[in-house]
Amino acid sequence: MAKEIYDSELGRGWRTYIPAIVAIVGAFVMLGLRLQFGESFISDGALMMLALASYIFAALFHLTNLYAPSDMARKIGLWSAVLGVFFNLSSWLVRWDAAYEHEIAIMRESGNMATPWIFRYIPFANLYDLSLAFAFGAGIATLLLARRKSFQVLSAFTLPLAALILTLARFIGNEFIDLPPVLDSYWRPIHVGVASLSYGVALVCFAIAVIYLLKDKVKVEAMAIWSSVFAIAVIASISKFSVFSEFVYRAGLFVPNEAGGKPFSAPFRLDMPYSGAALAFCGLLLVGVIAAFLIYLYRGSESARKVGHVLLKAALIAQIMTVGLLVSQIRSTTDVYPKLQVQLAGDPTQIATAGRAMAERQNLTASEFAAISPMQLEQLGRQYLQANGQKMFLSLNTNPVEIAGLITALAGTFFVMLFAFRTEKLVERLPSLESLDSLMYRTACLAFAGLAMLLITGAIWANESWGRPWGFDSKETGALVAWLTYAAFLHTRIARGWTGRSSAYFAILGFLLVIFTYLGVSYLLPGLHSYA
Amino acid sequence: MDDKKEPLSYSLYYLEMSAAEETLKTKEISTPKTAPILNRMLDFISSVRFGVSQLCALVVLSMIGMLIIQQNVQGFDAYYASLTPAEKLVYGSLGFFDIYYAWYFKLLLLTLSLNIILASIDRFPSVWKNYFTKPKLTATRPWLLQQPQKEVLQTVAGDDAAIAERIKSVFEANRLKTRVTSLQDASYGLDAAGQKDFSNISTRTKLVVFGETGRINRLGAYIVHVCLLTLFIGHFVALQTGFDADVRMIPGDATDQIQMIQFDLDKREKFNVQLPFTMTCTDIQQTLIDPRGSIDVTNTLDWRTQIKVDDPEYGSTIADVSMNKPFSYRGYRFFQAQTIPVGNAREIELNLTPEIGGEPLNVKISRLGSTALPDGTTVEYEEFQPDFVLNGDKPDSRSGDYNNPAAILGVTPPGGQRVRVFAMGEGAARNAPMMSAPKAGYKWKLAGYEKSPFAHVLSIKYDPFNGALIAWYFGGFGLIGALGFVFFFSHKRVWALIDPKDSGTEVVFGGNANRNHLGFEEKFNKVVRDAEASL
Repeated sequence: MAKEIYDSELGRGWRTYIPAIVAIVGAFVMLGLRLQFGESFISDGALMMLALASYIFAALFHLTNLYAPSDMARKIGLWSAVLGVFFNLSSWLVRWDAAYEHEIAIMRESGNMATPWIFRYIPFANLYDLSLAFAFGAGIATLLLARRKSFQVLSAFTLPLAALILTLARFIGNEFIDLPPVLDSYWRPIHVGVASLSYGVALVCFAIAVIYLLKDKVKVEAMAIWSSVFAIAVIASISKFSVFSEFVYRAGLFVPNEAGGKPFSAPFRLDMPYSGAALAFCGLLLVGVIAAFLIYLYRGSESARKVGHVLLKAALIAQIMTVGLLVSQIRSTTDVYPKLQVQLAGDPTQIATAGRAMAERQNLTASEFAAISPMQLEQLGRQYLQANGQKMFLSLNTNPVEIAGLITALAGTFFVMLFAFRTEKLVERLPSLESLDSLMYRTACLAFAGLAMLLITGAIWANESWGRPWGFDSKETGALVAWLTYAAFLHTRIARGWTGRSSAYFAILGFLLVIFTYLGVSYLLPGLHSYA
Repeated sequence: MDDKKEPLSYSLYYLEMSAAEETLKTKEISTPKTAPILNRMLDFISSVRFGVSQLCALVVLSMIGMLIIQQNVQGFDAYYASLTPAEKLVYGSLGFFDIYYAWYFKLLLLTLSLNIILASIDRFPSVWKNYFTKPKLTATRPWLLQQPQKEVLQTVAGDDAAIAERIKSVFEANRLKTRVTSLQDASYGLDAAGQKDFSNISTRTKLVVFGETGRINRLGAYIVHVCLLTLFIGHFVALQTGFDADVRMIPGDATDQIQMIQFDLDKREKFNVQLPFTMTCTDIQQTLIDPRGSIDVTNTLDWRTQIKVDDPEYGSTIADVSMNKPFSYRGYRFFQAQTIPVGNAREIELNLTPEIGGEPLNVKISRLGSTALPDGTTVEYEEFQPDFVLNGDKPDSRSGDYNNPAAILGVTPPGGQRVRVFAMGEGAARNAPMMSAPKAGYKWKLAGYEKSPFAHVLSIKYDPFNGALIAWYFGGFGLIGALGFVFFFSHKRVWALIDPKDSGTEVVFGGNANRNHLGFEEKFNKVVRDAEASL
């Protein structure tokens, strides 16, 4: 038996690394081509989209292989994943060269003949760069897992998550930012590189935890409740909580950057007709899903279960249509200023809200801020509107986290529905509970070690740059919280024997905290890491 | 290979080493309620359960500190002003605005540190005994068959010692440190009725080959905890004995004081701190991406401040402080923090046209510097105004932007009186003919200048005992190394029990590892395959 396992799984040794090696070497070949052909070569944005498509394609084939096992589907899935990682890393490397050329062009035009060191341009400067690297980390971790045939099915779960990260990157936008001088340090590639790889491993650990729960026969209806809770939380919190309070969704606005580069966010948001109501309707359906499945779980009511599944399907369709409506409205709306004026005429309080947002950016003391009257705030808002109103425009990039959140919620609903389809057959095809548990533990250990490196390198860099290694900045604390969660996970496992489901829940919580550190801190909380 | 089922028999055995290994479990908190209260308290504080609860508490408090803006974070003022009086009162009295320095947060870190120390002290002796001083060198068949990895091989009867020697070679070829031990296995015989006969005890000597690698990994957790404690203690020492301050550096200015900042909700108080030395700013420089652009941070490659330290004890030192390149001196670390973004010029280029006619001169003068012209006229670069305007007779600037740059010079012709001269750019000179009229024998024009800010601000960290260095370099890197050691390596153990039987010799393999079980499975299978081939 041991011999059979040995030969079938591992006898090929280094050959099992070939997919990962091909992806990485191929990406460096692409970099070479970029250096050769310059700007006429394929752009990093296009490569990123190819990576996104490849990940989705690979996931589809792996899912197909799960339900209708086929060696052909498995191989296509595997090599599509390789292609995805190849395009992902290529995009990142090409972006490095493009950033270098972009700034050098500016310097040469102004007569500045200096040539800063090449690591100044390494793509770890903003959330777009980190997202690219995060997705790569998840992709390469998936390929390394896929060395064992029995684990290749895990790609069906990890690659869609990597695709969601790239979707977020798409909405963030790939404009180059002006690098703050404090980021021009050799610590940046070390610290941010470790961050992206650890996040990638944490993502894989999360996917394994979800698969474990499936294999451990956690009811799909219970999973549907949690995914619906997540979706409702997203819908409730976007557009500054206006969806459920006012049945309105307001999209953010941009004002062009005169100097080129990334446009500025305007302090105003424009109503998207019907989108708010559609989102509220989705929320209502999801509440119905939760209620129906709770009744099923606690009372064993089959009819409640059937109703729940019908509502789940309806919620999925509603979410698809709503996201489609929202995206098409944002892309097609051109006459922003007249519409905004009509909106503000109907609700002038929004002008003062905008004025308040502008005042908050002015670094006033608390007493100075408190001394500003509502009329002055409104005056500030009106002045801004007068100066910039005509220039404002809508873009999918104004609220990347909100749109990515809606798409993630949609994906969650979709996957839960998928799990509900021929669940027994799906569960049969998954690896054993013992191997999943062992894998979950190993990836959690890697994520834990990676997050520790992230914290330490960050502290040392902070000591060199800001003069204080640890100041409980939001991002530092967020990473610490995620690390402590993994620490608790490992200690309960070692000392209390909390394997299996308990471990899976911990792993899921740890990843959610990683996502909060990655996104929530940057977008919701102030601090020294706000450019990240 | 199939496991052969043996007739039921009771095995009495004695082991050379303690039997504790066979039933070794994590130490349970099972102190009876009649035990002294101190013992019970110590057991509780050293328990993993307590440690995990401390971690959870730390998570909760840290999340509160993230969600409620802290008083030393930018944006606190606006946030504080937006709170209701009730929120201010509740959050304030709970210490939420400065939670990371609140007494209960420090207490939590202290109890967590205590938990780590006591838990380590509690568990270390048994680990040292069971894996180092008295490792489990022998194992019985039932125990081996309970191991996560197990295999039974049958071979032809032969000399046990020779078989043991072959297995030992296989173990050593697989990089296992090997020892061969004998195991006295006693068992009851059966009587004619097939029942066990307690008077019939037969003992057999069996050989056990034990191989292990990575034993030191068992101490990994303790190394991790030591590094963690080094980090805590170092950081604590740095916090208690040090402070943060800043100082404004204007070229030419000297100071022996720095300003320490203390936050108290929405109030910022600054206190002067006396230095044991004097600092003089000799130069500040800003490297721009586009030299024609602004001195805004978005157009900046780097800032550099040059300071001269005059120390009565150690003499003079000249140092550069740049972004990410701090300067350390007698426990003080100077960091390039920010600038006062009012335009200035590090070096000016003047175009001088002699009043009496002749070739124009081009001269460059550095800030605080001077030059002598061929005719002996001394030109001193006194001041620079980026958006020049005259307030009465006092040169001033409307803004910090380079809208109307002018250099203010002190010119002393040979044998003449020192006069003040304004050198402006071409456009400005046309608009202010009076100020740009010839003086001291020349028409003065500002031909060019190297942009730099008016002043830099250096932030200072005073850390006399290098607590931060010890904490983060030794403790931090040590922690990374220790975690890598813990998670990427494991303690692997394999036993091979050689049991001669009537029909041949049975070799029972069993093995375990403390982590990376899938990887150990590969190694175990290889060892067994190699052993099978050699037998």
